[in-house]
Amino acid sequence: MSTEAIIEVHELHKDFKLSVAKTGAFSGIRTLFSRDYRIRQAVHNISFSIQPGEFIGYIGPNGAGKSTTIKMLSGILHPTSGEVRIQGTSPGQHRRQVAAQLGVVFGQRSQLWWDLPVQDSYDILAQMYSVTPQQLRQRIGTLNDLLGLEEFWKTPVRKLSLGQRMRADVAASLIHDPDILFLDEPTIGLDIAAKRSIRVLLRSLNQEMGKTILLTTHDMDDIEQLCNRVMVINQGELTYDGTVQQLRERIGLPTLVRVIFQGPFQLPINLSTTLLPFDIPVKDLGFIRILEVDDRSVLVEANRQEIKAMDMLRELSTWGEVDDIHMNEPLFEDIIHTIY
Amino acid sequence: MIPFKPWLKLYMILIRSSLQSRMQYKFNFILSTMLAAMIQIAEFLMVALVLYKFGAIRGWTVYELGYLFAIMTLSKTIYRSLASDVHHLENYLVEGQLDQLLTRPVPVLFALMTQNFRLMLGEILQGSFLLIWSMRHMMNSGQLHAMSIPYTLLMILSGATILFAIGLATASAGFWTTRIQELQTLTEDAAQTAAKYPLHIYPSWLKSFFLFVVPVGFVNYVPSLFILHGEYGLWLLLITVGVSLLLLILSLQFWSYGLSKYQSTGS
Amino acid sequence: MLYFTLASKAYVRNLQYRAAHLLHNVASVLFGYMYACIWIGIGEETSLGAYGVQGMTSYIAFTQASLWISGFATMGLGIPQSVRTGQIALDLMRPVHLFPHLMSREWGQIAYQFTYKSIPIYLIYFVLFDLKVPRHWSTWLATCCALILAGYLSICINYVIGVTSIWTTESNWLYWTHHALINLLAGFFIPIEWLPHWMQSLCWFMPYPYLLYVPTRIYLELGAIHSLIGSLIWCVLLTLFCIYLTKRLRLKVEVQGG
Repeated sequence: MSTEAIIEVHELHKDFKLSVAKTGAFSGIRTLFSRDYRIRQAVHNISFSIQPGEFIGYIGPNGAGKSTTIKMLSGILHPTSGEVRIQGTSPGQHRRQVAAQLGVVFGQRSQLWWDLPVQDSYDILAQMYSVTPQQLRQRIGTLNDLLGLEEFWKTPVRKLSLGQRMRADVAASLIHDPDILFLDEPTIGLDIAAKRSIRVLLRSLNQEMGKTILLTTHDMDDIEQLCNRVMVINQGELTYDGTVQQLRERIGLPTLVRVIFQGPFQLPINLSTTLLPFDIPVKDLGFIRILEVDDRSVLVEANRQEIKAMDMLRELSTWGEVDDIHMNEPLFEDIIHTIY
Repeated sequence: MIPFKPWLKLYMILIRSSLQSRMQYKFNFILSTMLAAMIQIAEFLMVALVLYKFGAIRGWTVYELGYLFAIMTLSKTIYRSLASDVHHLENYLVEGQLDQLLTRPVPVLFALMTQNFRLMLGEILQGSFLLIWSMRHMMNSGQLHAMSIPYTLLMILSGATILFAIGLATASAGFWTTRIQELQTLTEDAAQTAAKYPLHIYPSWLKSFFLFVVPVGFVNYVPSLFILHGEYGLWLLLITVGVSLLLLILSLQFWSYGLSKYQSTGS
Repeated sequence: MLYFTLASKAYVRNLQYRAAHLLHNVASVLFGYMYACIWIGIGEETSLGAYGVQGMTSYIAFTQASLWISGFATMGLGIPQSVRTGQIALDLMRPVHLFPHLMSREWGQIAYQFTYKSIPIYLIYFVLFDLKVPRHWSTWLATCCALILAGYLSICINYVIGVTSIWTTESNWLYWTHHALINLLAGFFIPIEWLPHWMQSLCWFMPYPYLLYVPTRIYLELGAIHSLIGSLIWCVLLTLFCIYLTKRLRLKVEVQGG
């Protein structure tokens, strides 16, 4: 591990004991006193380290252990074994000290005071985080430029729209100027415009203010547009840790190509004797797979990591006079699906 | 521990905004406060009417009963205003908001208490009215004297501490059971109602229950034995204060034990 | 048939919580036990009129059990809630009159509370205290009638409370006032004849005595069966009032557009 890492996680484990529910008479009461349980490994042997200024996407299917990891990083849960260091300090043992250096946002619920105006929530938080009124004014000023807080400054939180609430919540997590931000599904349920404004904000927090950000999400656009590094967790284990680009390459999902020919065309195989799909070898590079054929066009797919677009075109043009070509890049969403 | 000044400032903000938001509808605010006070008094009236007809319950007059009532109401009001959401921990456990509080750089209990401030003006009105009414009468009859006033104030504070400790311990049970409403009806609602009457009207098993298991008897009944009847002596007040501090320490221990259980299992 | 379905749905919906409710009964029993102890305490020094100590414990035991029939209805029959959420417009659109619709649902609730609250609570008191029990089958019959009428009255009163929420937006305090009045004027703790005279005359102008006091007197074989006529009159009056209020409510909701 590098010495300048801002977050270090070493062989982290978290087991949950699930008590086994009883059935039959007085089941409720018997379950209460039950000693029967089974152990579920929520997080299994995870290690990584994060450098200052990184923007990391932490993804995985529901129940994979994303939230459990975030909760251990922020000191909400204690690990069963293994070690977490946030700027050199263990959040499990010194929760309050670490909490003062963290901003945490849970997209599903607000950290603001439901019945109070947004402004009052900030006053309370400033007291909790020992932020002086001058510091608070200055930070709110900066955040206001980014987030447009003024429009709902005096509105009770319960009356905010989801997008406004999320902006207010992100601002609330920044009042004490933490170096690190944990965001658990910050774009969940937002409409496109609200998502966009949250993303713009997060990008400038990372690039201009140098915050280290760890983000969990189900929205792959978040990852593609924001993160320079992705970690994938599945069934409690880290299955990938690298750049978005490398992830794409490693999976190598096929690119779909529909070719429309000007006139008659001749496939290199005899269709009547062959069942589709059929693989056509291209030099020593790989295959073009024929998926559909009709009287004017052919649908093929090929892995662009193996066969370059030009090679593919050259092969296709030997079949007939090409009129038009449509290419569909694999969706990032689909890449992720194959990883899970 | 928590520095005292920020704590005080936090409550000032909470009280100010709670007042502001409720004062938006002035008429509604005044009406509901008055009604709350009246409804509270109706409960006392119910018993007062019986005493008006029959004289006393095992030697306790209607003024003494009013005194017990008032102390219980005021102690409870202090506890429920300052620590409103301790009583509602179940919601936090069910909806996972406790995680949110754990991200704050302050003790979780402090974060929980400052989540909400409940302004209970109706209860304050009812309690103070009953207290002044009963104490004035007992002062005039010579049953109480000048020192009774500071004693009574001390009693209200230690009573609030005891009720807080019981409430906190009950809430902490939620770290294991999640549901606490049924338990709360027993240890808080029923127990507080029971201690509005002199405990010796109950059979001894029930009296012991309210003195040693759910010790609501120490909120008003035990110290009243000395203040109203001069029984035992001043040390009864000291014991009351001692009991309240002991309960506070025990319940805080139980709370942090429950919280660490929550953090290691994440129920 | 629809009404029966509504009622049985409300009954069944509660069944899933019955373990918690049975636990809750312990606390409920404790409340009544405390009230009984107060009367026992008083009874040591003075005689308790026509009741005697045994009569008063029987009185408290019966009112505490009956509370779950005529005292604890769903607040405003859930109307304030549906006014807040806007559900009320939908309910009014249905081809069923709102009053019988909500009433049948509440009867299901009462049936549940009778089975899982009133009966167990009374049985516990029966073990704890030496209770007076009616000797004539006609008393049982009259008590049943009195309780059914009391439940009906309670539903009507709560309907009125609920419907007013469309005008006041805040009906909580009405509900609590209703509870305070039950405490004082329904004979919940003090038999009405022991109230000061002015309060006695006041409460006989209200439906409150018919909620608890009248059924309890009949059960203890102290009250005359003809007092049920009073219950019936109140039932008719309140039904008419409820129907009138529903008309006004419909008008109001139509004007507001839901």
